Amino acid sequence: MDSAPIDSWEGAEVIFTFADNPFAIGLFLVLMVAVIVGVIGASAKHENESFRKAEKGE
Amino acid sequence: MDAEALQAAIDMMNVINMEVYYWWCIALMVIIHAGFLAYEMGASRMKNALASGVKNILAFAFLIPTFYLFGWWIYLAFPNGFVPVAAPDGLPWAAAMGPNLADNATGIFLGAFTLFAATTASIMSGAVIERIRVSGFIILAILLGAVVWILGASWGWHPEGWLTTELGFHDFGAAGCVHTVAGFFALGVLINLGPRIGRFNADGSHNPIPGHSVPMTIIGLMLIIVGFFGFLGGCAIYLGSDQWVNIFGQPMTLSSIAFNTLMGFGGGIIGAFLVTRDPFWMMSGALAGIISAASGLDLYYPPLAFLIGFIGGCIIYPANALIEKLRIDDAVGAFAVHGVAGVWSMVALGIFAAGYPQINADWPAINLGGMLVSAAVMMALGFIPGYVVSAILKAVGLLRVGGKAEIMGLDAAELPIRPYPEAGTPSAHRHQPAE
Repeated sequence: MDSAPIDSWEGAEVIFTFADNPFAIGLFLVLMVAVIVGVIGASAKHENESFRKAEKGE
Repeated sequence: MDAEALQAAIDMMNVINMEVYYWWCIALMVIIHAGFLAYEMGASRMKNALASGVKNILAFAFLIPTFYLFGWWIYLAFPNGFVPVAAPDGLPWAAAMGPNLADNATGIFLGAFTLFAATTASIMSGAVIERIRVSGFIILAILLGAVVWILGASWGWHPEGWLTTELGFHDFGAAGCVHTVAGFFALGVLINLGPRIGRFNADGSHNPIPGHSVPMTIIGLMLIIVGFFGFLGGCAIYLGSDQWVNIFGQPMTLSSIAFNTLMGFGGGIIGAFLVTRDPFWMMSGALAGIISAASGLDLYYPPLAFLIGFIGGCIIYPANALIEKLRIDDAVGAFAVHGVAGVWSMVALGIFAAGYPQINADWPAINLGGMLVSAAVMMALGFIPGYVVSAILKAVGLLRVGGKAEIMGLDAAELPIRPYPEAGTPSAHRHQPAE
């Protein structure tokens, strides 16, 4: 997988990985957002279970 | 002032700016050691709190003269492998190796590399707390910090190291020569050192041995993160009159490092939080996240650095659980955080940053195969000397303290003062032998 947007350092400006691949850029953005939202959701679920157990004295 | 004098003044200002920049990188890197000190003392039981700190302080102290004696020379002399090239400027009697008004660079670079060296020893130091002999530990710390890691740096963190010139290796933040080498060195030592008394049961189950101050440990980890900004800043080369370059000579910006260090940090914490909900592992995840992104901090698209850091944060706890199943007692998870995340960093770079050219067009571009082979080299470079030398120390009785001293606590056995003299006598019998 060639992710480099450059072939030479001479005159290079935008050098980050996949800078010339909009699909990959979109994919990584979506995945990052999915992780953020998913972990917040998982945290809420975990908290609900923890508080339910705490209230039942388990 | 004529044009020539103006140019000379600008050149001198660039030199002074370079010195000032690395001076403050060194100062920030000292904070790494403040962090490791708090981290290790907090992770120790009260009966061992000061002994763990003494060990950490001594590692730092002994690495300063030994890195001066031979560490810097090793870095300059071995970029081709095991056969040295002439490196007279690295010898301790060279004109460059002391105050010299014609050389503003050697002292400041040697200082930064000495702090990298002390970081490797601190990585090992946390893993072996509460049962290693100080004398044996100092020998291992010197071997790791003034010989082994710097040989790896000469091979793969050097403008002309053979891993780069032959295999296309790239590793901006030293995930290989610092973290992987130190993590695998620690693993080799841990195998010979054995677990703390009471850590494992005869039936294969294990007993957690919590440290006496989790808050101190967590604050220590945060201090290490602060120091990482000096560490990573020290990985960039200041040229003054031109763009920054990385240690391989490729142009870069400090902005790139700011983007991706923060992304790795956040991703690592979130990953470890998802897996453990444990603040100790969350802050370890912060370290693991930065280490996971370290190889490509100068290249990654920031959301990609976040995802790589997130994966790093997710894998360290299971990696530590795996070595626990093998009855290896790593008191702070150093192998998982540094060794495993370090390898992941190099592998991830091979997957996600293949194709970038080297500064010399005749050298291979970054490629997955080259990164995998280089990662294996770094793992072996750390593990083999750590295992072999600790086995020798074990054979001559210099590796581990006696059982009675371990149960009593190393502070009482070795040191003239106690960590909390008004808090009563630490329980020496909390973890009695289970095997």
